[in-house]
Amino acid sequence: MPCSEKIVQWMHDYLDGDIQKEEEQQLRSHIQQCEACREHFYALKKTVAFVENVSHFTPSDDFIKKVMYNLPREKRRVRWKR
Amino acid sequence: MDTFIKQRIKAVKKGDQSAFADIVEMYKDKIYQLCYRMLGNRHEAEDAAQEAFIRAYVNIHTYDPTMKFSSWLYRIATNLSIDRMRKKKPGVYLDAEVSGTDGLTMYSQLADEGASPEEALESLELQQMVQEAILKLPEKYRTVIVLKYIDELSLQEISDILNLPIGTVKTRIHRGREALRKHLGHL
Repeated sequence: MPCSEKIVQWMHDYLDGDIQKEEEQQLRSHIQQCEACREHFYALKKTVAFVENVSHFTPSDDFIKKVMYNLPREKRRVRWKR
Repeated sequence: MDTFIKQRIKAVKKGDQSAFADIVEMYKDKIYQLCYRMLGNRHEAEDAAQEAFIRAYVNIHTYDPTMKFSSWLYRIATNLSIDRMRKKKPGVYLDAEVSGTDGLTMYSQLADEGASPEEALESLELQQMVQEAILKLPEKYRTVIVLKYIDELSLQEISDILNLPIGTVKTRIHRGREALRKHLGHL
């Protein structure tokens, strides 16, 4: 278990790229001393790496064709306006 | 925003349907990815992504150009995926434990090898575990996590897409990340 809510909050702020410099320094020095927090932080970073690197699938080759085929027909009113 | 896309949107608004194909081409992979991560099934994702584009086309006149076009599209696809999730299995995906013993087997295998997360992800089982962990997240956490990690969206963009205060987005990302850590952090 990490030491405090505050430390965990900083870990997440860090992962969001939304942390103040001073807090980041405090987080770093705390993590160097505290094994529980170090493990928690490492597990979070690993989790993010897993989620970021999960393989990307692509839609079917005829995806665009299917979308275009299923669009409602152009309305006549619109054609007249042109 | 990209001038090309701006010009394509204008053309679609004027009734040029073929201009819409360029928009689909530009965003199909991201929208499909979003739907897949939300729904966890390729067939359903394909269907949902197509519907998202059709809705975008039909509602193109409601698009407000002060918003990023991609954010507007993401909003449509997110709402649609949430609708489908709700219809599919109401309320079963609360923060459940990793099911069965698969997790333990996986754990012992990977712990021996000491692979990096990138290397470990080459394993198909682990890919599935990551996707399952995402699918186990309650809807409000899953949504923000998927948006954040499919396209490295900023907190501000996610807040625009979901129409939520940034503080709420942050809290949900934090909770979602903690829930994922419980499932994946030990691997």
